[in-house]
Amino acid sequence: MPTPPAQAEAALIEKAQHGDRNAYGELVHQHHQGVINVVYRMCGDAQLAEDAAQDAFIQAWLHLSKFQPGTSLRNWLYRIAVNAALDSLRRASKTTFDEFENLFLTDPQAGPESALLQKEHRLAVQQAISSLPEASRAVLVLREYGGLSYQEIATALDIPLGTVMSRLNYARGKLKQTLTHELMDAEQAYV
Amino acid sequence: MSDHITQWLGAYLDGELRGSRIRQVESHLSDCQKCQLELDELRGLSALLHETQPPDGFLPRERFVANLTLNLPRQNGTAKTPGPIELGWWLVPIVLIVIWIFVQLSAYISAALLTAFNLGLLGNGLSWLWGDSARQSLWFAWLINLVGEPAGSLALLNTIDLFLRDFFGHYFWQAVLGLVYLAWLMRAWQKQTTNSGNFSRA
Repeated sequence: MPTPPAQAEAALIEKAQHGDRNAYGELVHQHHQGVINVVYRMCGDAQLAEDAAQDAFIQAWLHLSKFQPGTSLRNWLYRIAVNAALDSLRRASKTTFDEFENLFLTDPQAGPESALLQKEHRLAVQQAISSLPEASRAVLVLREYGGLSYQEIATALDIPLGTVMSRLNYARGKLKQTLTHELMDAEQAYV
Repeated sequence: MSDHITQWLGAYLDGELRGSRIRQVESHLSDCQKCQLELDELRGLSALLHETQPPDGFLPRERFVANLTLNLPRQNGTAKTPGPIELGWWLVPIVLIVIWIFVQLSAYISAALLTAFNLGLLGNGLSWLWGDSARQSLWFAWLINLVGEPAGSLALLNTIDLFLRDFFGHYFWQAVLGLVYLAWLMRAWQKQTTNSGNFSRA
């Protein structure tokens, strides 16, 4: 039996499917943070991620009539978001890391070494994620940042459960390899 | 350390293992230092991934929602009931099948009637189908006059007539119906591909 929030969401979806923009705005409000998280981790760039999030929500609006009631709107949105992020990256033709360039320029409060180190960590992590192949990156992002179960990832990306597991193992192995060196270097630089 | 256990460590950490597989992993972990270390590293990696938040600089949620709802385009279609055009679209193959059945039945009934007539089973009952003999004579006379040598012309006309009857009766209709049906299938496939909003590339 659907829970009250699920019922409220179902009611909003039904209204939005009949063209109610305010109802859709409510849905966007609820899923905004999750979608931003997913697209940012896929793109590695805030501006690209914001464009991708907007594209994802517009695509979802345009195809809302195809959404199957009773299934998870969050999973459906995340699937669209992953593809919107990949499209954004292809349009940009290369992954940009403006934040590396702006590391010492954009944050006036970056004085304390710990804050700078934290920022360095964040960028190293994001670069490591962005260096993963698209297929493994999508699975990792949906698991770690989208919080989807293996089965939900398999459904969202239309791949077998075993493939989810193998791509996740690959992505984690690769990240461990990359981040071990990068984070040790970063920490040594501030010791 | 077994590779199989390493393969299951991520799923174990994610709480995705069930039943005997969990017991197998836990039993192995209790004896294997290397796998314990591997599991700790995976835990550390997960913590590292989560402690790093996206940067500031995104539009505030309210502003993002307001901008988006203002710029939403018209939706592609409504949710539920198919319109008359949609229904008409699905009627196309049904109509084609009915036409095909009609043509086939007509051919079989004609053949059956002709056979019965030739065997004399129908007596003179179908004579009205042969038309006016005086007009037919005039028609043949005119044709023979036009073409020239009577026997050769009649043979030629007979051949053409047989060919056209066979062609229209057996092949032409079926070929046309087949082509229309193929065109409909292609259009239906194209329509479905466009509507599905292909979101499953990753």
